[in-house]
Amino acid sequence: MHKKRIMAHMIPYYPSPEASYDVVRGLVDGGAWALEVQFPFSDPTADGPAIQGACTTALENGFTVDKGIDFIKKIRKDYPKLPVFVMSYASIPYRVGIPRFVSIMAELGINGLIIPDLPPDYDEGFYEECITRDLQPVPVVIPDMTEERLSLITDKAGEYIYAALRKGITGQHTELGEDNIGLLSVLKNRGYKTLAGFGIDSPEQVAKLSRHAYAIVAGSVFVRICKENRDDIYGSVKKKVEYLLL
Amino acid sequence: MQLYNDFFGRFGGRYVAEVLRKPLDELEQSFIAAMSNEGFLSELEYLQKTYIGRPTPLMFAENASNILGGSKIYIKMEGLANTGAHKINNALGQALLAKKMGKSRIIAETGAGQHGVATASVCARLGLDCTVYMGEVDMARQRPNVYLMEMFGAQVVPVSSGSRTLKDAVNEALRDWASSWDTTHYLIGSALGPSPFPDMVREFQSVIGKELVKQIEENVKEDVEALVACVGGGSNSIGFFAPFIEQERPALVGVEAGGRGLGNGEHAARMTGCGVEGIVQGYKSMFLLDSDGQVLPTHSISAGLDYPGIGPQLAHLGETGRVIFTRATDKEALEALRFFARHEGVIFALESAHAGAAAIKLAKEGSPDKAIIVNMSGRGDKDIFITAKIIDGNRWRDFLLSEAGDA
Ligand SMILES: Cc1ncc(COP(=O)(O)O)c(C=O)c1O
Repeated sequence: MHKKRIMAHMIPYYPSPEASYDVVRGLVDGGAWALEVQFPFSDPTADGPAIQGACTTALENGFTVDKGIDFIKKIRKDYPKLPVFVMSYASIPYRVGIPRFVSIMAELGINGLIIPDLPPDYDEGFYEECITRDLQPVPVVIPDMTEERLSLITDKAGEYIYAALRKGITGQHTELGEDNIGLLSVLKNRGYKTLAGFGIDSPEQVAKLSRHAYAIVAGSVFVRICKENRDDIYGSVKKKVEYLLL
Repeated sequence: MQLYNDFFGRFGGRYVAEVLRKPLDELEQSFIAAMSNEGFLSELEYLQKTYIGRPTPLMFAENASNILGGSKIYIKMEGLANTGAHKINNALGQALLAKKMGKSRIIAETGAGQHGVATASVCARLGLDCTVYMGEVDMARQRPNVYLMEMFGAQVVPVSSGSRTLKDAVNEALRDWASSWDTTHYLIGSALGPSPFPDMVREFQSVIGKELVKQIEENVKEDVEALVACVGGGSNSIGFFAPFIEQERPALVGVEAGGRGLGNGEHAARMTGCGVEGIVQGYKSMFLLDSDGQVLPTHSISAGLDYPGIGPQLAHLGETGRVIFTRATDKEALEALRFFARHEGVIFALESAHAGAAAIKLAKEGSPDKAIIVNMSGRGDKDIFITAKIIDGNRWRDFLLSEAGDA
């Protein structure tokens, strides 16, 4: 048996400031290995309707970068051993100032930082800054990329790499086949801990992917759960993680 | 001007998630190759002449000039192009390129609807499938254009996310493209987005400026002191300015939407004090952002100027001082619209009327041996549901009610 690890994606302040911490507790108690905390952006172009809508709600609920920082501090305090990754879009770190943003994240002691629209050749010094501050940047790769491009990107990675399992945006179902599994095998052979995600919503996918990736990322599936189960967010999120880990 | 720049000073670039890397690389190569391919260029030129109706005239606005008593005003009549605006120059260029690339489907986003109409029209002409994303707010205020797009066979998809305007339509189109680029080209409507779009759109729009160079030589006796164009994303202005950028004169003036004033959400003035440097929708430029980098809401009476970012080359030219930015309010644009309608018999699009307003101000300060050329980027037919309400409220309301009664 391969160890099944779920990196659960969540959005602070969604569905509400308080309930989003219930989401954290539900995810952790359900057995998530790590959290991917998305700092919501007004225009999240790589995300599907579920996450995009959740980001809009979170911003309407008063999310700011400062509140996000407090949110992470609380997670770090309550769950000191839980790996935490932060994901956001370029606009936020760029506006805050990349050196400043990276140093704040480094001080929080997070395990990795994912900014999909700062790819290595248009990164505004993001990767350098992470290395200087001893924070792991987590670049994103996709199936079907040229070997040249794959190497360029993996060269910038630390321990972890994020593999999007297909073209397109988050939230649509993903078929597992030669192209995405092939990519995961390549990354595994090169010694990376791959975080594999996009469109994961079933225990079968998690089981299959666990043979090839270090951890499986699931996000939209939890957003949908939050939307459908307003009265018991904690319990339904917890149950969903348990179900995915079956 | 180089054909392909990627960056303009520190603006521009290709800040996209990895999924969009390949289609952008492919597009860049195809664009560069096409622009030195005689076959492509002559087909484009043929269609520009026979289908768009180029060259568009340069008209001396004699009455307006006499009334204002300052510099002479000339109007480049881009609104006479097929489908009513400059947008078709770019739509035709990109659609033709997409066809050469073997794509069978085009997606586009639209604010005022002019870009959507141009794209839908060109797709009908070239036999390509067409889907247009449009914010719900824009669909309501530019209804006639929705109807036209559908007439051309395009599918118009309402966008209900975010502010339900142009920027949200751009997001939806980017999302579509991320999974569909094998068969689909994303036909961006302005000189922005990740490279190569800003370069490509400028090149396809530069036909306006190239014609102008000739027309000035042939028809303008005065010394041309300024070229004036409105700036939404910046495609009509950059195309109008293109041949003049590397000269020192005339002055190049870009006019943004001053809206109702300078409060947050009241305008779309990025270059006249309110914008900050940012990275949004794949490019680095000046945007309306809060201190966390979130995109701020915008307002303009003209849907086509109602966008929080500006093309990176214009941002750069603004910073170096080659392009001077100013803004016109909703009210000034409406006044300019009425002024040129009444005295010159031309109806500016609300977008272009912003340029008209700035030209009126500039002309008053100048002298009759000087000329100011304003780009009428589009004509105002599409705006009738906005302008009629303001200009002729009651009678328009009665008319609409009686039409609705018949329907
Ligand atoms: C007539 C007209 N002018 C100007 C614009 C603004 O765009 P740009 O600045 O890209 O030319 C639009 C956009 O829809 C338009 O329809």
